Amino acid sequence: MLLAKTLTSSTFKLALIAIGTFGLIVSAILGYVYLSTSAYVRNRSDRLIMTECLILRDDYQRSGRDGLIDAIRRRMTYRSAGDRVYLLVDPSMAALAGNLKEWPPAVGAGSGWTEFRAAGTSPDATNGPLLRVMLETFPSGDRLLVGRDISDLDSFTAQIRTAVISGLALIFVLAAVASILVTRRTVGRIESINATSRAIMRSGLDQRIPLRGSNDEWDRVAENLNLMLDRIETLMAEVKQVSDNVAHDLRTPLTRMRGRLEKAYHGQRVADDDQSLIGDTIVDLDAVLRIFSSITRIAQIETQARKGAFRTVNLAEIASEVVELYDAAAEQDGTRLTVVGDSEVLVTGDRDLIFDAISNLVDNAIKHGRHGGQVVVASENSDGGAVVSISDDGSGIPAEQHVQVFKRFYRLEHSRYTAGNGLGLSLVAAVANLHDARIELLDNAPGLKVSVWFSSPSA
Amino acid sequence: MTRDRRHILVVEDDPETAGQLVEQLTTSGYQVDLAGTGSEALRRGAASEYAVITIDRMLPDIDGITVMRQLRDDGIAAPFLIISALGEVDERVRGLRAGGDDYLVKPFSFVELLARLEALGRRSDAAVKETILRVGDLAIDLISRTASRRGKDIPLFPREFQLLEYLVRNESRVVSRAMLLQHVWDLHFDPSTNIIDVYVGRVRRKVDGQQAYPLIHTVRGVGYCLRAPG
Repeated sequence: MLLAKTLTSSTFKLALIAIGTFGLIVSAILGYVYLSTSAYVRNRSDRLIMTECLILRDDYQRSGRDGLIDAIRRRMTYRSAGDRVYLLVDPSMAALAGNLKEWPPAVGAGSGWTEFRAAGTSPDATNGPLLRVMLETFPSGDRLLVGRDISDLDSFTAQIRTAVISGLALIFVLAAVASILVTRRTVGRIESINATSRAIMRSGLDQRIPLRGSNDEWDRVAENLNLMLDRIETLMAEVKQVSDNVAHDLRTPLTRMRGRLEKAYHGQRVADDDQSLIGDTIVDLDAVLRIFSSITRIAQIETQARKGAFRTVNLAEIASEVVELYDAAAEQDGTRLTVVGDSEVLVTGDRDLIFDAISNLVDNAIKHGRHGGQVVVASENSDGGAVVSISDDGSGIPAEQHVQVFKRFYRLEHSRYTAGNGLGLSLVAAVANLHDARIELLDNAPGLKVSVWFSSPSA
Repeated sequence: MTRDRRHILVVEDDPETAGQLVEQLTTSGYQVDLAGTGSEALRRGAASEYAVITIDRMLPDIDGITVMRQLRDDGIAAPFLIISALGEVDERVRGLRAGGDDYLVKPFSFVELLARLEALGRRSDAAVKETILRVGDLAIDLISRTASRRGKDIPLFPREFQLLEYLVRNESRVVSRAMLLQHVWDLHFDPSTNIIDVYVGRVRRKVDGQQAYPLIHTVRGVGYCLRAPG
């Protein structure tokens, strides 16, 4: 199974192509080395034979047949002459001098190079040594043969050939084994990722891809996939939480409406009662629709589709517009609402969404702040980027509930009975997320300070 | 101008919604023509001069936006009120950019629709040239941006003046909260709190406090209406 996957994997195919290319180049280099080495060895041997032949011819021309015979006999006594062969014959083919018994039958008359196997020098060998000789026929009809035993040369080049071929074979085998091993490893890692994916599709999101601890790129891929799975799991849990909450928040008014209508359906028609029943039902329906549109609005913000419409906006301007809008509400509540900070705090974003987010925070600060206290909206260019903070001097939020606060629909226990559907802070979180902004909750001692840190434009 | 101020064209493909609209608008004194498809809307829209055309975004044959563009290209000047279930801000902006004059998201309350129709019908009339507008004993000066009742100045913040101006310009017509947010604050969403009511409440205290009669009236379930008694 794994071997079949290894052989069909793209890594293995790539490895085969690499081995093929590499092998061709290595074969060409080794072939060249072999050819040039054997040519060099042969040339050198031929030059030696030719030189000797020329010297002997010279002797013949200067001192005649007897001089040549002397010269041959002298040469045969040289120590270095072990692999040499000489033969001088008269026109009747009778041997006059030399270490070959007779003129070899395979060699005809004339002059030039020839090669043959000699049986003469070692009588017991059926396969005599290979001789390479140069022939010379003198005008008198005498013939001279000068040459060498080249069996050694032959076996030397044969050795080179063997070395080259076995070297190549070794390279191919090693490369093939290495590529199979590498591919197996790759395929193995991919297989474990695939297996986990299949397990996740079959059963659920609780599985994770095992890490090998090698800290290599495969571990990093696995780590990132695991992080992605964590994120998906969190989102799924949130979605479930949200749908539970939505179901609860929608069921309450829907149940009221149903009960009311059912009672009216079975009861007598009373104009005044009907009137108030219809009015109450419309109010409940509106509440349902508002929850509904808040949810779709948050969902739409979270798709990030609005990023395309981002432009440079002034946070300070938006903040003072929000303060202006909430001024009357603060006044009614006895809260002092003020705006402070720099007059120009530029960020890249969506004005309506930022307005909505700041509105929600200000609205919360007024509602949950101290009655008759003060709410300060501050926007400024600080070292960490553009920031807008909304602080109140109310009861604040316990530190351990800070994360919880931004979960959709989450309501602090003690504020469960104040107006609002709990979606406000989720919307703030969604807007911040869309703007790559960071939300920070701080204890304002007393009260809560919410800061939204934007990254400055073109920074 | 021969345009009939009460003659409107409703383009809506859902028979029940269309029936409700025609019935309620007729009761409110409008003469209503109905088109159930985009091609019918194109035919009717080109045939008569309407005070307002309400158009659904999703029609069975041609997209509402395309119908609107086509009618505009044919030289139809009537204001368009886009009515759609595609409520999100981007959709709204796309509809307005394509030549719509106002946008209403389904589901809507009929009074809201009526308020917007009234405002649109008036917008297509000649623009008011005066720089001082009067309702009863209230006078607002559009140049100096001040308001007074019986000659006595009312101190208003700029945004409060804008709100009062919008109410005065729509004298005797119902103005919804969403319309106020849109025209006074340029906000295209519902902050889903009573923030507008509180704001109008403060303007109302300044305008109507210790006066012979109130000008700003609450219309239950919809919004506000500014009118002189009698």
